[in-house]
Amino acid sequence: MVGGLLMGLIYALVAAGLSLIFGLMDVVNFAHGELLMLAMYATYVIWLVTGLDPLLLLVPVALLLFALGVAIYHLLMARALSVRFNRGMVQIFVTFGLAILLRGAAQFTFGSDFKSVSKSWLSGKTIDLAGVYIPLPQLAAGVVSLFAFALLLLISRTEFGHALEATREDRDAVALIGIDRNRIFAMGWGLGAGAVGIAGVMLATFYYVSPSVGANFALIAYVTVALGGFGSLIGALVAGLLIGQVEALTALLIEPSLKQVGMFAIYLLVLMFRPRGLFGTL
Amino acid sequence: MQRLAYAIAALVLALGIGSARAADDVLIGALYPMTGPNAQVGADAKAAMETAADIINGNHDIPMLMGKGGGLDKLGGAHIRLIFADHQGDPQKARAEAERLITQEHVVALIGSYQSATAATISQVADRYQVPYMSADNSSPSLNQRGLKWFFRTSPHDIMFTQAMFDFFRDIGAKTGRKVQSVALFHEDTIFGTDSSNAQKQMAETAGIKVAADIRYRGNSPSLSAEVEQLKAANADVIMPSSYTSDAILMVRGLHDVGYAPKAIMAQSAGFVEQAFIDAVGPLAEGVMSRSAFALDASKARPAIPAVDALYKARNNKDLNDNTGREIIAVIVLADAINRAGSTDEEKIRQALVATDIPGDQTIMPWKGIKFDSTGQNIEATPVIQQIKGGVYHTIYPFDVAVEPAVWNVGK
Repeated sequence: MVGGLLMGLIYALVAAGLSLIFGLMDVVNFAHGELLMLAMYATYVIWLVTGLDPLLLLVPVALLLFALGVAIYHLLMARALSVRFNRGMVQIFVTFGLAILLRGAAQFTFGSDFKSVSKSWLSGKTIDLAGVYIPLPQLAAGVVSLFAFALLLLISRTEFGHALEATREDRDAVALIGIDRNRIFAMGWGLGAGAVGIAGVMLATFYYVSPSVGANFALIAYVTVALGGFGSLIGALVAGLLIGQVEALTALLIEPSLKQVGMFAIYLLVLMFRPRGLFGTL
Repeated sequence: MQRLAYAIAALVLALGIGSARAADDVLIGALYPMTGPNAQVGADAKAAMETAADIINGNHDIPMLMGKGGGLDKLGGAHIRLIFADHQGDPQKARAEAERLITQEHVVALIGSYQSATAATISQVADRYQVPYMSADNSSPSLNQRGLKWFFRTSPHDIMFTQAMFDFFRDIGAKTGRKVQSVALFHEDTIFGTDSSNAQKQMAETAGIKVAADIRYRGNSPSLSAEVEQLKAANADVIMPSSYTSDAILMVRGLHDVGYAPKAIMAQSAGFVEQAFIDAVGPLAEGVMSRSAFALDASKARPAIPAVDALYKARNNKDLNDNTGREIIAVIVLADAINRAGSTDEEKIRQALVATDIPGDQTIMPWKGIKFDSTGQNIEATPVIQQIKGGVYHTIYPFDVAVEPAVWNVGK
């Protein structure tokens, strides 16, 4: 149960970045899992070279991913947006191609072996609460995830947040009131990638890193976003927690190999009765 | 314009020479996961098989079958050449790649493929095109039970491996007086895990051992925390996992996370023998046992091991393990059969494979020998049980070939 809760918080944070970008631009970022993978590799490599604890790398890696997100927007997405014909498909192919490129590049650079941060402040420690064991790295990841959510919500309340909201609602009209659409989109990509960067750092403290690790989480992230409602942060949080619990329950009550079946069953149910997702406004 | 014409002419000439030279080589198609979660296994397999090709083609003097080098002497010293294809662990891609290797690359035999699920489709294609498929490291017992005429497997399968585990339980129980009363099965949900756990369930029943839990999980899950909770609740004497590398890491770490130290883990090889697993879980790997078809520490009885290991290490910077050892011997056995056939005609190669009879000391494996039954299974492949001590696997069973005493905590 507790394991499902903590895992749910991680799912939620991974999904938050995806949701942000989707809500803002109507673009499904198929390279989202690969951004997570890059964040994990960044954590692993910096830890390996400098010996700094992953917890200290939260801010640097998040900034790194932020910069990467902004760069992806300017170098790829902005161009994809300016396409006249079949823009949606172009955007899908751009992010899909990016995913394959990043995965291949990671395998080329780091090899395909499983790496892991074997020594950190948190790793291998576990708390015993009257028979309920809570692994410290997962607990820390859950707490950090909550903080990241609080931060994202705070940002959405600022003037910039309102600009994000306005741009989402009508990307052409905002130009009339002096909002630079390009800048807002780029920031959106930066924030989305930054959020997944934080998730990557925390995951690296207890999960293995490999070029294809992103795929393990990406599928769940897509379902989380769709379940919670496209573009809704609160939706991503609630949906992530829900999926964590459904997984744990399916494993317990039915069979572990059917975990994802439970998750998709819930998603299909929600789709039937509330197609825009639990908290969706779009 | 003229320069371009020259360039094209030169290119055509070069290609012509290239293919003319290639025609002398005997081509073997090797199918492995080169990308995806098990890509490292594929990369290691490539290094291992290229080592085997080097032993066959090069100039060596290793005390084993084909160890003299110099190519295939009955084919005028022809070299064998391996063409690698990436099946990504996907049975459908494996089928397509097998077909491509046979029809477009014109290989005389196929070899592969790590995941049993991919071997199932590859061997079907091989049977249809009447090309031998040499299974180097697939361990599902059902693979050779499908009436395929062109399927051969040098390695033991999971029923033979599992038999060795239960023999070990019986013998260590008799030796120490601390018997295995219960086991917990933990397996991934493709053909490998399913076949393996079925064999384990059956043999546990025969041996009068209780199956306290039978947990089937989905491979490459983001989390196995619910699954390890069930292992903990079962608290069996021995946990018996059939898992690939990523899940092996998650399981062993997960057990530690929930504050559970299992008495014994007896793995169906796979992920548990990979260096990445041992590196990732560090001290938690101590005492883990696994069946193995290969024993690196058996160099007394198999004098070729140090030389072969050195050749492999020069390529891949790590020692041979259960998987890579089996991959090398499979290439050697296949090359030997092609040589004895004295031809690249597939039917002649198949007949030579059927007639194979190689004594164990001519190999690097701790087996009695290599001899295929009518289903293509090597019936003389006798596995060993190994245990991790100081981060390295040592042979602990059968007792007469053991190099370390078993650390046995069951019943303590």
